[in-house]
Amino acid sequence: MSAIVLSGLTKRYGSFTAVDDVSLSVPEGSVCGLLGPNGAGKTTTFLCLLNFARATAGTITIAGKPVTPATFERLAYVPERATLYEWLRIGENLEIARRAYRSWDSKRAKELLDLFALDPKKKTRTLSKGQQTAVGLILAFARRPSFLVLDEPASGLDPLLQRAVLDLVIAAAANGATVLFSSHQIGQVERAADRVAIMRGGKLVLDGEIDALKASEKTVEAVVDGVELAAFVRDPRVRSVERVGTSFARFACRDDADGFAAVLTAAGARHVRVLDRTLEDLFVEAVGGAPSAEMAVVA
Amino acid sequence: MPTFISVDPRSGVPVYRQVIDQVKRAVAVGVLGDGEQLPTVKALALQLTVNANTVARAYRDLERDGVIDTSPGRGSFVRSANGEQTRSLDAIARATFDAAVRDVRTLGVGRADATLFFHDALNRWYPEELA
Repeated sequence: MSAIVLSGLTKRYGSFTAVDDVSLSVPEGSVCGLLGPNGAGKTTTFLCLLNFARATAGTITIAGKPVTPATFERLAYVPERATLYEWLRIGENLEIARRAYRSWDSKRAKELLDLFALDPKKKTRTLSKGQQTAVGLILAFARRPSFLVLDEPASGLDPLLQRAVLDLVIAAAANGATVLFSSHQIGQVERAADRVAIMRGGKLVLDGEIDALKASEKTVEAVVDGVELAAFVRDPRVRSVERVGTSFARFACRDDADGFAAVLTAAGARHVRVLDRTLEDLFVEAVGGAPSAEMAVVA
Repeated sequence: MPTFISVDPRSGVPVYRQVIDQVKRAVAVGVLGDGEQLPTVKALALQLTVNANTVARAYRDLERDGVIDTSPGRGSFVRSANGEQTRSLDAIARATFDAAVRDVRTLGVGRADATLFFHDALNRWYPEELA
């Protein structure tokens, strides 16, 4: 069953279309990573999903129902910049959440404070950006919500704490929660998520199960000077052919790439290589061009 | 918990495929013995820092292939006398040769030379049975 469903979601600001006819569904218990360059429409999609911004067109359901204030009893949203009561201590921020949510798990909150090495007596405004992010995450995860919507959940955290956040997401989903999170880091998505959605210019350009997308095609590269290519271009296993210079060719193969590579080799092609397609390859192809520096893959 | 599995999520090989291959390899070489218990889906997902649905899918395929048995509430265990040991060893060995021979051919090496190099490698790694 799909827990989070967007259909035909569109958001216009005047003549600018921030989100353009996006349809996406996240099955219950799944983790969907939302990738895209800055300005692709990720945050606007979240604002519409949560009913904080009014969609121009389209419908949104969570657990089969439209989003109402009651939805937030079971849904936690962590914005990119944590919204905390800065004049209060960390512990007082948590106490407010404890009183607001019946599902609050005090033991879990304590564990998470220890995980992020936070002292509950500390004044919130003295915290670093990363520590404020951590408090925002504790507020969300200690509620044990059924739905988590996280905007750049690991931004500002050091690599060890980034890994801890991935563990939180993985554990929440293993316990049945449905998670939608945006990220600039492909490495986070390929670990924590089983599904990916890629946006560009307000449009959803690719979405699906990560493992299925990886397995759907392979790349066969070869030096092909002196090889008659016409028959290979028409091969039903080949989706597209890219010529690089006069002697090099790259074939996108739907299935049996190894068989295709063997035939190509027998015909005299040299340096035939079969390459798996990584999520980064898929991302680059979907958004076009090389990834920007901040989209760098982080291990 | 045995650390018999490591996966590379950045690789183009689907993560569930990596888990399946490594469990089969661990069973084939005896790192995982008959009847030995595997980590739970959640524990392995957290150990590897990968999505739990992905691990669950690998376990389902391993059960379908007769490598493990999963019973609700008890966990997943290596199936006894499953034949996987010989089957997998053969399959792993064949796949390793296949990839190596493909690479050699791709270099433009002829069959006669490839055979020669193969025998040199055999003599190096099986010195007790010199041809």
